[in-house]
Amino acid sequence: MADLPQDELILRMHRELAEAVKKPVEQRRWIMVIDLVKCTGCTACTVSCKAENKLPPGVVYRPVMDMESGTYPNVSRSFLPRPCMQCEYPPCVKVCPVGASYKRPDGIVAIDYETCIGCRYCLAACPYGARTFDWGERYTEGTPEYQPYEDLAAFEYGIARSRKHDASPVGNARKCHFCLHRLNAGMLPACTTTCLGRATYFGDANNPKSLVSELLKTPRVMRLKEELGTHPSVYYLT
Amino acid sequence: MRRLYYLALALLSALGAWGIWVRMTEGLRVTALTSYVSWGLWVAFYIFFIGLSAGSFLLSTLVYVFGMTRLERVGRLALLSALCSLGTGMTFIMIDLGHPARFWHTLIYRNFRSVLEWEIFLYVIYAAVILAELWLLSYSRSPKAQAWVKLLGTLGLPVAIGVHGGTGSIFALAVGRPYWNSGLLPIIFIVSALASGAALVTFLWAILGPKDADKPALVRTLAQLMALFLAIDGLLVASEFLVGLYSGIPDQAGALIALTDRFWFVFWIGQMGLGFLVPILLVALPVTRRSTAWMGVAGLSAVLGILAVRMNLVIPAYVVPQFEGLRRAYVDARLQYSYTPNRMEWLVAIGVVAFATLVFSVLYEQIIIKRSQEVPGR
Repeated sequence: MADLPQDELILRMHRELAEAVKKPVEQRRWIMVIDLVKCTGCTACTVSCKAENKLPPGVVYRPVMDMESGTYPNVSRSFLPRPCMQCEYPPCVKVCPVGASYKRPDGIVAIDYETCIGCRYCLAACPYGARTFDWGERYTEGTPEYQPYEDLAAFEYGIARSRKHDASPVGNARKCHFCLHRLNAGMLPACTTTCLGRATYFGDANNPKSLVSELLKTPRVMRLKEELGTHPSVYYLT
Repeated sequence: MRRLYYLALALLSALGAWGIWVRMTEGLRVTALTSYVSWGLWVAFYIFFIGLSAGSFLLSTLVYVFGMTRLERVGRLALLSALCSLGTGMTFIMIDLGHPARFWHTLIYRNFRSVLEWEIFLYVIYAAVILAELWLLSYSRSPKAQAWVKLLGTLGLPVAIGVHGGTGSIFALAVGRPYWNSGLLPIIFIVSALASGAALVTFLWAILGPKDADKPALVRTLAQLMALFLAIDGLLVASEFLVGLYSGIPDQAGALIALTDRFWFVFWIGQMGLGFLVPILLVALPVTRRSTAWMGVAGLSAVLGILAVRMNLVIPAYVVPQFEGLRRAYVDARLQYSYTPNRMEWLVAIGVVAFATLVFSVLYEQIIIKRSQEVPGR
C-alpha cells in the first residue's frame, strides 16, 4: 500500500466510500486515520473545514496542534490535527439534557440544531475540547462593508441553514461531523480531500479490505486519551 | 428608609432588565465566555442560588419534619427564601442558555441518561413542594395543615438533597476534568448548601425578625448550625484539595493551583476568609457570639463567602486545557482558556439579584408578616 502514488490513494478511498454508502447505514462505521509522520502542519484541513461548513469566528472543528520539543537551537516540531473523535462512548451525548446530541448508527456523533438549547454542558463534558459554541459573531460585522457571504447557507447534516437573524446554528454547540452531508453524497470529508501530504485517511472500518482497515493493522496506531475509555473513531499513526 | 430601599432595588432591577434585553437581542456574544470556558459568572450564580434554596428548605425541614420547635419561627421565612432562591437560580440558568426560548425543550425532549435532565425534573417537583408548604402554612385553615406540611416536608427532603446533590453531579460527572470528577463533589455541594441556607436565614432573621426576648437565642442557634455545617464543609474541601494537589501534575492539580493565581482574592479572602474563618470566629468568640448583630454579620459573611466558593468551583476547572497544544492551535478571542466576567455579566447578575430581593421583600411583607397575624400560632 505504501508504494501507491498519492492520487491512487484518494481514488481508492473514493471508491470504497461509494461502496460503503450503498450499504444500510447501520452497517457502516466511519473512521479517520491521521498519519502524524506525514502531517506537515499546513492547517489546510482546518481552513477547508471552515470553508466547507462556513464556520463563523470562534467556531473551529479541526484545529491543528503544534508541539515543539527540544531546546533552541536543537528544536523539532510535530503536528496533531484534532477533529471530533466520534467516540464510541461519547461523554457529550450522555450529558445532553434534551437528547440533541446523539450517536448515529454509522458512528458519527451528530447534533440536532433545532433541539439543542445551548446549555454548553457538552462543551464542558468533552475531554478533547472538540466542541465549540456559535456565539453569533461575524467576520465583517462592524467593518465598513458587511459581506453577504456571512449569511450564505451551510449544509451541515444535509440541511441548508443560514445564520441570518441569529437563527440556529447560532446559539448552538457545534462540532465536526466527518462532513456527513458530503459522505451521503459520495464525497470524502473536506479535510481528507484537502490534505496536501495525504496524511488524513477516511473510510469504513466495517470493510476489512478498505484502506483504513489496512492502516489499522500497523503497529503505529494510537488514539487520544485511551485511558478514558471513550474509544475514539479517530486513529493516529505515530 | 423603606421607600428608599424599594426605590434602590427597583432601579437596579430596571438596569438588570435592560441588560437582559440586550443579552436576549444580541445573544451570548455580550458575555466574556469562550468555547473553552463555556460556563462563567451566571452559572456560578445559578448553583449559588440553587444551594441557598436547598439549604433554606432543608433548614425548614428541621422544623416541620424533625420537630425542632426552637426554630419554628423561622420556618416560613426559610421556605420563602427557598422559593425565591430557586426562582433566581432558574433565571440565571435561563439567561445562560444559547436558546432561552427553547427552555420548554427540557420538559418535552427527555434524555434520561442526562443528570441535567433529572435536575430539571426535580426542580419542578421541588418548586411544587415549597409552594404547597408555604400555602398550607400561610393560608390554609384546615386542622390537618400541619400534618400535610410534615408529609410534604418528608417528601421534599430527598428531593432537595437530589436537587443540590444533582447540581453537584452535573460537574462531578465530567470525566475529562479531574477538578470536578470526584465522588465527594456532590456531597460538598449538599453540605455547603446547608451552610449557605443556615447563613442566609441567620442573616435574614437578624435583620427582619421581631425584636423580642427569643431573638438572640434563636439567631445564635441558627448561627451555630451554620458554623457546624461550615466546619464539616471545611473538612470535606480540605480532603478534596489535598488529594487533588498531591500529585502536582499540571493536568491533575492545575485548577487547584489556579485558585491562588490571578484571582487569589476570590479564594483567600472570599472562600477562606468570608466563607470560613470570619463566620466561625464570630460564632466562637465570646464577645461577638452574644450579639445578634454580629451573628447577622457572620451569616452575611458566610453567604458572600459561599458565592466565592461557587465561582471557584465553576471557573478554575476550565483553565486546564484538554491538550496543551489547543491553547495556540487556533487563535480566537472565543478560544481562550481564561475568563474574566465582563461588565454586562455583572450588571445582569446584580440586576437579577436586586429583583429577587425586591420580590422576596414584597412576599415577606405580604405573606410572612401579614398571614402570621391572621393565623395565630404560626
